[in-house]
Amino acid sequence: MGTEPQHAVVDGDACLLRMRGISKSFAGVVAVDGVDLQVRAGECLGLCGENGAGKSTLMKVLSGVYPHGSYGGEILIDGVPLHAHSVADSERAGIAIIHQELMLVPELSVTENIFLGREIRRFGGRMDYPAMHQRAEALLRELGIDGIKVGQPVLHYGSGHQQLIEIAKALGKQARLIIFDEPSSSLTATETRTLLAIVADLKRRGVACVYISHKLDEVAEVCDRVTVIRDGRHIGTQPMAELDTHRIVTMMVGRELGQMFERKPHAIGEVMLEASHVTCLDVVNPRRKRVDDVSLQVRRGEILGIAGLIGAGRTELVSAIYGAYPGTWRGELRIDGKPVRVRSPQAAVRAGLCMVPEDRKHHGIVPLMGVGPNITLSVLGHYARAGVIDGNREAHAFHHEMRRLNVRASSPMLPIASLSGGNQQKAVLTRMLLPEPKVLILDEPTRGVDVGAKQEIYRLIFDLAARGIAIIVVSSEMPEVLGLSDRVLVMADGRVCGDFINDGLRQEDLLAAALALPHRIENA
Amino acid sequence: MSSSIDTQAVGHAARFRQIFSQYKIIALLVAVALIWLYFWHATDGAFLTSRNISNLFRQMAITGMLALGMVFVIIAGEIDLSVGSLLGLLGGVAAILDISRHLPLPATIALVLLLGAAVGTLNGLWVTWLRVPSFIVGLGGMLAYRGVLLGITGGSTIAPSSDAFVVIGQGYVSPATGNVLAVLILALLVFITWRRRVARQRLELKINALWLDAAKLVAAGVVLFVFVHVLNDYGGIPVPVLLLLGLLAVFSFIASQTVFGRRIYAIGSNIEATRLSGINVDRVRLAVFVLMGVMCAFAGLVNTARLAAGAPSAGTNGELDAIAACFIGGASMRGGVGTVHGALVGVLVMASLDNGMSMIDVDAYWQMIVKGLILVLAVWADVVSSGRRR
Repeated sequence: MGTEPQHAVVDGDACLLRMRGISKSFAGVVAVDGVDLQVRAGECLGLCGENGAGKSTLMKVLSGVYPHGSYGGEILIDGVPLHAHSVADSERAGIAIIHQELMLVPELSVTENIFLGREIRRFGGRMDYPAMHQRAEALLRELGIDGIKVGQPVLHYGSGHQQLIEIAKALGKQARLIIFDEPSSSLTATETRTLLAIVADLKRRGVACVYISHKLDEVAEVCDRVTVIRDGRHIGTQPMAELDTHRIVTMMVGRELGQMFERKPHAIGEVMLEASHVTCLDVVNPRRKRVDDVSLQVRRGEILGIAGLIGAGRTELVSAIYGAYPGTWRGELRIDGKPVRVRSPQAAVRAGLCMVPEDRKHHGIVPLMGVGPNITLSVLGHYARAGVIDGNREAHAFHHEMRRLNVRASSPMLPIASLSGGNQQKAVLTRMLLPEPKVLILDEPTRGVDVGAKQEIYRLIFDLAARGIAIIVVSSEMPEVLGLSDRVLVMADGRVCGDFINDGLRQEDLLAAALALPHRIENA
Repeated sequence: MSSSIDTQAVGHAARFRQIFSQYKIIALLVAVALIWLYFWHATDGAFLTSRNISNLFRQMAITGMLALGMVFVIIAGEIDLSVGSLLGLLGGVAAILDISRHLPLPATIALVLLLGAAVGTLNGLWVTWLRVPSFIVGLGGMLAYRGVLLGITGGSTIAPSSDAFVVIGQGYVSPATGNVLAVLILALLVFITWRRRVARQRLELKINALWLDAAKLVAAGVVLFVFVHVLNDYGGIPVPVLLLLGLLAVFSFIASQTVFGRRIYAIGSNIEATRLSGINVDRVRLAVFVLMGVMCAFAGLVNTARLAAGAPSAGTNGELDAIAACFIGGASMRGGVGTVHGALVGVLVMASLDNGMSMIDVDAYWQMIVKGLILVLAVWADVVSSGRRR
């Protein structure tokens, strides 16, 4: 608190983009309040702030989602006022945005996606495929990307490649300013490296970038200056050279953050979950094994981290254990020593096994329902007699849980979709705690969650372990895996290729294991 | 604090929408009132006689029963196109049991309801177990059930129904009984309101002002007694109308007070999240189709009783009226949204248009055009006012 806006001196005329005094409110509530922002050509500006700080609103103003006139302040591109009435207008001015959730059409080919909306046409409106393919290949080559066939449907590629295709698409539109909104949230470590290298390359070619990310080490690496906003206000802009990640966090939260991971000693007991020889076949191509003969154990009170690159089969493994894998799979499961057959999430919950899925938007929240009913969804029967809900008991339960987990919403009946990611995640987590599981699987528990909520979730995970719950945490964020886990499994190509006790374990060890050849099995 | 801004911003919009959706039903009732006023004027008062009102509600009963089942199907994110044909088939079976087999009335009713549940189960199993989209299952059922009906009736009308049977569709509850019922219902409402106030007081939750609750009760009482009085003026409450009101109470209760009802909404809003929360979504969806089958049975029985005959063409296009009513009443194509009472007001809109336009001798083709337009306009108004895009 009390940080006066600090401005690094920037010569206004040299700026590609100047946003001056941008304000935007919704139904009288101010979301962005007089924010200034400047980006020079060939520069990467980091934009940091907790979820709900107003970053997305600010970028929606810039990219034309909120038309000119619906916000206060002005936007200048090369000193010329930009009056964008639509996304198309701002694209014409050279502004492209790459969203956190990728906006490609999965069934269309890479080329068709890159040229979506501005296809090269021949006489009679026919698409000129040869010309488009050639141009698409050239764009990908410029970015130094190998391994993408432009004629293939986008759905053949993972989110890492899809992100690169998005960048190619933006460049194809002659974008001079590219906004990256949480670009690495679904990328693996290697893919993130590629992405950062490409951003650095874009800078060299004079493209301006705005990099929005919760991953401050990436911001530190790629950004020249950092703007921090908090509660819709501009807190400060400083050259990265004068900052470090710790300082950025302090500016973001307005208070000194203690240790993110306040480890609590927790007793580790007997084996609670034992999965043996789990094999999952690909849904589309059953000859391909997404998970290949994986066995694992988790003990009472133990936190098992599962690390690995995206596509390593981690999510497939845990969803198979939870009975939610869409394709064919086999394997055996014992919970608390007893063999169980888990063929559906329902059976899993009954057996004392709960999972918080990776994809909060599609698999977690029930968007139109209130936060409260979202929380009680899994155990509604507890508050009912003969199928009739006792509304008062239910309300009492969700009020209590919302307070306990600090789920912030003005009313429990507020549709959950209108809450911030952190509050949504806490609600979904609560939902899966109410059945009182013996084993809890958390797949990417802090994806798209702000720093404050992250810390609360970490604290909760340690509490749960201390209460004797066996916990599996799947995460792509290495610091998270290292900060939380007692033991870490590393997966690559559907197999376990590393099993470590987390004692002085370093990120490098995990990464090395994840990149190692699949047949090599290490034990530390 | 950190997340308060976005949350509140969206929260305001959401609250506005919440308020609107709460009062949407009032907007709809105002629309009904306008329609009635217009027809009252156009028919020199004939539209608002107790005889016509009684007719109107009776006409509404059959589509109303279909709409009650359909609104759950739609909230669950599915659709069922087979209900018109199924209504015809079950009505035909009822006629055969009653007329050709001379079964006693309770046996006929029980058998037809069971058959309805069985066919509903069949539809539901195709959707849940065999994973055929409900649109296709309904389309197939629409053809097949009509075919079965033509087969078992040999394409000819089966008449006349027994006197006992006809009462279901044409009978009236005696005015005295109607009055007693009205008093009982009002007493029940007072009791529920009082109990809620006590419970909320105990839990220190917000309580409505006493005058507000009292005003609501008085309003409910006035509506109730005017309704009963008007119908008593013309022989009493028609049996099918009473049946519909009873079913309305049951369905409203299911939707708002039961675990099953909550799960229907959850499934329609996000079926994957619901499944991953450990809920057997297929069982809920199956149950929704079974209920739909049972409602087809009720509608079929009433329809056959009303005509005193089982006709091979009975219920044709019934599914379209029911579906249209649900959407007019605020249900969403995408599932997760809709109310039972909204669907019934939707039926009231459609029935009023049918009845009124027939009275002022509007050509049948114009009636179809107007109903089509009203459906699209109603959903458009809903889209615009709720701020939903696309």
